[in-house]
Amino acid sequence: MAFLEVRNLTKHFGGLAAISTLNLDIFDSEILGIIGPNGAGKSTFFNIVNGFYPPTKGKVTFKGRDIIGLKAHQIAQLGIGRSFQASTLFMNLTVFDNVFTGFHMNYKEAVWMSFLHAPYALREERSAKQRVMEILEFMGLAALKDQIAHNLPHGHQRILGICIALATQPKLLLLDEPLTGMHLEETSTMLNLIKKIQNSGMTIVLVEHNMEAVMRLCDRIIVLNHGKKIAEGLPKEIRDNKDVIEAYLGTEEEFEPIAS
Amino acid sequence: MEKWLRMYSTKLRTKGVTLFIILGIIILLLPLLLKSPYQMHLIIMLCINIVLGMSFAMLFSTGLITIGAAAFWAIGAYASAVLVMNLNLSFWLALPLASIITGMIAFMLGSIIVRAPGVAFVVQTMVINMIVVQALGQMEFLGGWGGILDIPRPNPIVSIKFVSKTHYYYLILFLLLLTVVVFYALYSSRIGRAWRSIRLNPRLAQTLGINLFRYRLLAFIIASMSAGLVGSFYAHYFGTIEPNTFSVFKSIYIQIYGILGGLNFYLMGPTIGSLMMTLVPEFLRVGKEIEPILTGGILILLVIFLPGGILSLPERMGSLATAFLSRIKRKESLH
Repeated sequence: MAFLEVRNLTKHFGGLAAISTLNLDIFDSEILGIIGPNGAGKSTFFNIVNGFYPPTKGKVTFKGRDIIGLKAHQIAQLGIGRSFQASTLFMNLTVFDNVFTGFHMNYKEAVWMSFLHAPYALREERSAKQRVMEILEFMGLAALKDQIAHNLPHGHQRILGICIALATQPKLLLLDEPLTGMHLEETSTMLNLIKKIQNSGMTIVLVEHNMEAVMRLCDRIIVLNHGKKIAEGLPKEIRDNKDVIEAYLGTEEEFEPIAS
Repeated sequence: MEKWLRMYSTKLRTKGVTLFIILGIIILLLPLLLKSPYQMHLIIMLCINIVLGMSFAMLFSTGLITIGAAAFWAIGAYASAVLVMNLNLSFWLALPLASIITGMIAFMLGSIIVRAPGVAFVVQTMVINMIVVQALGQMEFLGGWGGILDIPRPNPIVSIKFVSKTHYYYLILFLLLLTVVVFYALYSSRIGRAWRSIRLNPRLAQTLGINLFRYRLLAFIIASMSAGLVGSFYAHYFGTIEPNTFSVFKSIYIQIYGILGGLNFYLMGPTIGSLMMTLVPEFLRVGKEIEPILTGGILILLVIFLPGGILSLPERMGSLATAFLSRIKRKESLH
């Protein structure tokens, strides 16, 4: 059985069908790339899986459990983490505190023990702080831990966004355009990091515009256009797929000579 | 220059500790320093206002802005008065009970209004405040608009009989300290971190598994309980309570206590804000009629020129100073 199953997913915004009857499976510890032109419904898909939008129709099951109708925080608690398209961080906090806040649901001690500053709760907090440093080291931000998130360059902000998602210890990680606005060097760092995260035993779905990077990184690719899946397969297959080329470049027939 | 600045800052920190101790001693011995009962009354009201300001700040720490803090102050005061006068309970039992009753009412109201944060919440808290005042005014068995008179003093404990303002001062000081300790414990725990994350970025907070509704409701209940606690104190200290004391106007004042001191300082902000708002008009000796105009004017100036509040002043000056220093440095390197 697939890790995440999506069946007949449909989402209408007013009259517009952002996603219509989408079926897809995500398998354990793969990197799945979702690509498509602007407005293809990629981010909408994330927002449904993540619990921000309720779908109009359809079913999403995560490890056999139906997650439609659950709130965003409940879905997060099940183990679906996500990063955001724009740098969505706690801008006024330090890098360290950003990731530390992400640990919220990994404490075993009851909340009121934390309030009472009970020794066990304090010990747990200390070990959480250690894990924060481990994540920062893993992602190469350890040297910047005391910087205010707001002051970081764009590339580091995107990495920090993923660090926060990692702090929730997700089983499935949704990355919303992790490469936008990055220059060449930042892009290759990010690609290595994503690969590293996968190797640590995580399933990753990413939405991206950068075709070249997606081809290099992903095990499997799904192409969306106008909310419909138009192709699915290995990167090599997608590269040669006629429908995909059409979706991105348009068909020849559309260009009729103007003056005839 | 920089070295000097750094040395100065460490010196300042050790100075801060001694200053803190001296301040603590002054606060404890204040009744000996102040001779007139009126001054003691001002200080006691100041302590009440600080707690109310802190309750406003607690809601702000989760990104909620309330203009209804006075309503819960009123509920605490009326609940305590009824418990003592109609049910003949001891004040010492009525004090925590009034706080718990306020918390329960906050739980019921909060379950409805906390779901819609933002402007809707602001308006709803204001309307709740208006309804509470109106309802208290209409209820004849609570004294109507005339309020409840002759609320008994706290029952004596051991030899303390609560006759002088000094006794009340130490009681409110204890309640203030209790609030500070509890609030500080909350802010420094993961509850406080969750609140902060909700204020800074609710969308992101949700994806971290934080239940926005539950944490906001928790803040609403605890903030209301602290307001109810000092409400109970106020009723038995002042001896009379009437609905109009707890009007929306008071809630706006409570809001100003928080904003004036600095909204990013959940404990020190309301303290400094209340201090300014209570003592400055006294020193200026302006009439009660022009006082609101004055405070309104100060507030407008503050929001425009120092939006972070009085406590953000050092940081503001610091950033100006570093900007100045770096400019000097750049000039030096040019030469």
